[in-house]
Amino acid sequence: MRRSTILWFMIAACLGVALFLVKYEVQEREEQLAALHREILANQEAVHVLEAEWSYLNRPSRLEALVRRHLNLVPLDTTQLGQIDRLPMRLPVLPSDPQATIDDPATAGAPTAALPPLSVPTVTAPPTPLARPLARPLAVSTGAQQ
Amino acid sequence: MTRRAEPVRLEGTVKQALETGRNRLILAGCLLTLGFAAIGARVIELSVLRDHNEPTRPTAAADAALQTGRADIVDRNGLLLATSLRAPSLYADPSEVLDPARAAQRLATVLTDLPIADVEAKLRTNRRFVWLKRSLTPSEQHDVNRLGIPGLHFLDEWKRVYPQGSLVAHAIGYTDTDDRGIAGLEKSFDTQLRTDHTPLRLSIDLRVQHIVRQELAAQIELFEGIGGTGIVLDVATGESVAMVSLPDFDANLAGRMSENARFNRATLGVYEMGSTFKIFNTAMALDAGTVSLRDGYDATRPIRVSRFTINDFHAKQRWLSVPEIFKYSSNIGSVKMAMDVGTDGQKRFLGQLGMLGDTSIELPERGYPIIPSPWLPINTMTIAFGHGLSVSPLHLASGVATVVNGGIKRPTTLLATDGAAPGVQVIKPETSRALRRLMRLVVEDGTGRNADAKGYLVGGKTGTAEKVGGRGGYARKALLSSFVAAFPLHQPRYVVLVMVDEPKGQKHSHGYATGGWVAAPAVKRIVERAAPLLDVAPVDMESPEIRRDFLIKLPDVGGKRLASF
Repeated sequence: MRRSTILWFMIAACLGVALFLVKYEVQEREEQLAALHREILANQEAVHVLEAEWSYLNRPSRLEALVRRHLNLVPLDTTQLGQIDRLPMRLPVLPSDPQATIDDPATAGAPTAALPPLSVPTVTAPPTPLARPLARPLAVSTGAQQ
Repeated sequence: MTRRAEPVRLEGTVKQALETGRNRLILAGCLLTLGFAAIGARVIELSVLRDHNEPTRPTAAADAALQTGRADIVDRNGLLLATSLRAPSLYADPSEVLDPARAAQRLATVLTDLPIADVEAKLRTNRRFVWLKRSLTPSEQHDVNRLGIPGLHFLDEWKRVYPQGSLVAHAIGYTDTDDRGIAGLEKSFDTQLRTDHTPLRLSIDLRVQHIVRQELAAQIELFEGIGGTGIVLDVATGESVAMVSLPDFDANLAGRMSENARFNRATLGVYEMGSTFKIFNTAMALDAGTVSLRDGYDATRPIRVSRFTINDFHAKQRWLSVPEIFKYSSNIGSVKMAMDVGTDGQKRFLGQLGMLGDTSIELPERGYPIIPSPWLPINTMTIAFGHGLSVSPLHLASGVATVVNGGIKRPTTLLATDGAAPGVQVIKPETSRALRRLMRLVVEDGTGRNADAKGYLVGGKTGTAEKVGGRGGYARKALLSSFVAAFPLHQPRYVVLVMVDEPKGQKHSHGYATGGWVAAPAVKRIVERAAPLLDVAPVDMESPEIRRDFLIKLPDVGGKRLASF
């Protein structure tokens, strides 16, 4: 009887101490969380301001002036646009080419690794505009000036 | 030695005292039992039955998310057009200010735009709160803080900022100092922008908007115009990809701008559009079946109605076929075409096309057409060539979009939409095809040659209207020169409208200030520059399919064959 009372008393005391420890731990964590939230908000606001500045610096008129001053680009002409299926057939591979074998039908008419791949832009699908324009497309007109 | 204890018998007062003690003990015991029972019941209720007010899991505060005063407005590609930034505003509590005169003087040394007398008067009032200046810059705030004047305080407010300045000013509109939308989309969507924090995505493409504005401004300057407007519409969805009105204003300083600059010529201004209306007139006649492309009218003599004479600008003085009437923009032929359809037919057709009502654009600045009342035969005649009925440029662009897209009328919008909006078929598809061929004819071989952007199959119609003068007549020298085009015509995607207000004839244009000289070159450059951005690939205009599709046989005239594709 006496022994079990002491045991229960010990358990109760331990639980009490543990409870207080947990409580203070939780309080501390909550303060940390609040601080983090404040920091997130401050960062979000900073990002927000930077986004506005980014947009301001990316005004099309400003970009156009910068392109004119610093880059050697001219307006896009329709003759510079083509379609990939309009390209003429490639020349057949020369027999002297060691990498190609005539009896291999797979490589007979196909471009070989020796030929540098033609960099033909797929003009039918212009690049999707980015949410933040990294650079304006080449279409910078000089037509405005007479 | 033990003795068995005798039962003690208590009598009298002793017994009574014991009884009382026992009763009290029982009472106290009952109360305690009751109390513990209640606590036990509550414990069971909380742990086993689970009270619904108590959360079953620990919850943390939701992740922090920045809430600005108003939601952002972005273009169709997500570029920022309007946003809210935090800005400190300076206010004073006059009761705390010790020396108003000195405070005002010192404040004026850093905020130079504040009048000293005004500030001093404010600081002497008997209130507890007066605004001194709204939305300070960070450096201004720093300077005011350094003065250390007691009684001055800051309050953080959200300030609307338009990073693009004047580029999209008319469409977006602006807010007042208290962040309430008072013009443009800021006004139309005021409640939504305040409550919903997802950005409002517009149909405007900033790059195309810039191109249109630049080319329009160039033409206005070149021809000394007083203003103008440029619109690019997606014919399949009714979205406005660009909408420019010049002169415009910096949306960040909207309050200080003149009434003229704030006037939205694209949607609020209504004008007699002139010959561009012949697109509708011809579509009406072809749709009604009163003429076909092979028919024609005698345009030898001017038409005289009461005190008016209707004449041709590019007079041919002979019989003209319908394609020729369109190509040479013959007023006489157009009037005869309209008279054959009749007043009721014209009224019904223009009504279906939306020329007699409001546009559906989401702007508070919408111009209502000026409709003749009563609609007399003379009105039918003048409306045939675009006089006597005033509509906004957006009406015209939207009507042309309906004509070229196969005859389906869709509401015009400034918001990005997903896919095609439902429309109403108001014109036969054959009529739409015929009009596309006619519009191509104008650009290939007619008044609109200056708009022929190579590879993009541009077709359109010029318009040169005389503005209504101050004394009720028409002012000969005040013109409204426009060009409305669609491209690529074999599969129309976009309608482009350029209109310049009061251009003056120039030496390089041989004194002309007509739509073909003023507006058509701008349309050409807009198409050339914007088409690659709008995902329109150039086509080979000499290919047999395209030549066949756009072939129009013009009738023989005096043995000389006029053929055009």
